Amino acid sequence: MTKVRIPTPLRPKTGGKSEVEVHASNISEMIERLETSYPGIKERLCDETGEIRRFLNIYLNEEDIRFLEGKNTPLKDTDEVSIIPAIAGGV
Amino acid sequence: MLTIPAAIAEEMIAHACELKPHECCGILGGTRESVSQHYRITNILANLSESDLARFDAPKLSDLKQLSPEERADIAFQMDSQEMGNALRDIRDRGVSLQAFYHSHTMSPARPSQTDITIAMEFEGYREKLNLPEPLHIIISLLNIESPDIRAFRIRNHEATEVPTTLV
Repeated sequence: MTKVRIPTPLRPKTGGKSEVEVHASNISEMIERLETSYPGIKERLCDETGEIRRFLNIYLNEEDIRFLEGKNTPLKDTDEVSIIPAIAGGV
Repeated sequence: MLTIPAAIAEEMIAHACELKPHECCGILGGTRESVSQHYRITNILANLSESDLARFDAPKLSDLKQLSPEERADIAFQMDSQEMGNALRDIRDRGVSLQAFYHSHTMSPARPSQTDITIAMEFEGYREKLNLPEPLHIIISLLNIESPDIRAFRIRNHEATEVPTTLV
């Protein structure tokens, strides 16, 4: 099972869990599996065109998936995926 | 102590002034001794949907929802994740390391807000997984537009401590 780290803003969708496990062969399938287990999470991860939202990055282990094969990046059961929001702030 | 070359500090101030009244944001890379890389990152806050705003804490979310998308960028920022990823990759490829995230406060002093601290602490939870060094958080205040104020902070345990900054 691939470990997926869920960022704080998405935890309401996973019942508060910061880490979940999925069986998936690549990132696209991982997103679909997450949606099956946690309905509504896909639309928080992807925009209407299916692309990852512009405030989120997905890392496989320590590498941004955009520098691998994007959503086609293959996954192994020993992998760890981190969904990480880009830095924000405000006065 | 953080050392920033004057030319980079001037670019950061220029960035903040160009985007005023919106907040600007960016990343600095380099070594412990000195900053050598500066990346302007787009503040995409005005382009975020209402559901995306949920990444902010409740008080900030309440403020943001009362504003038009354009006005939201006056009181907050959200880095474009692709540009942030590209900058972190470039920093790594150059053999240096992440030193700081920066943003501007156009109408308030150069100190981190509660939202800045909350999100910095949230990032701390992810940072070690990405093998990134602890960044400083720099605020450029344009409160006195004749004399912009740049201050750097280390944010730990939900507290911000100022780190002396030298321009060379």
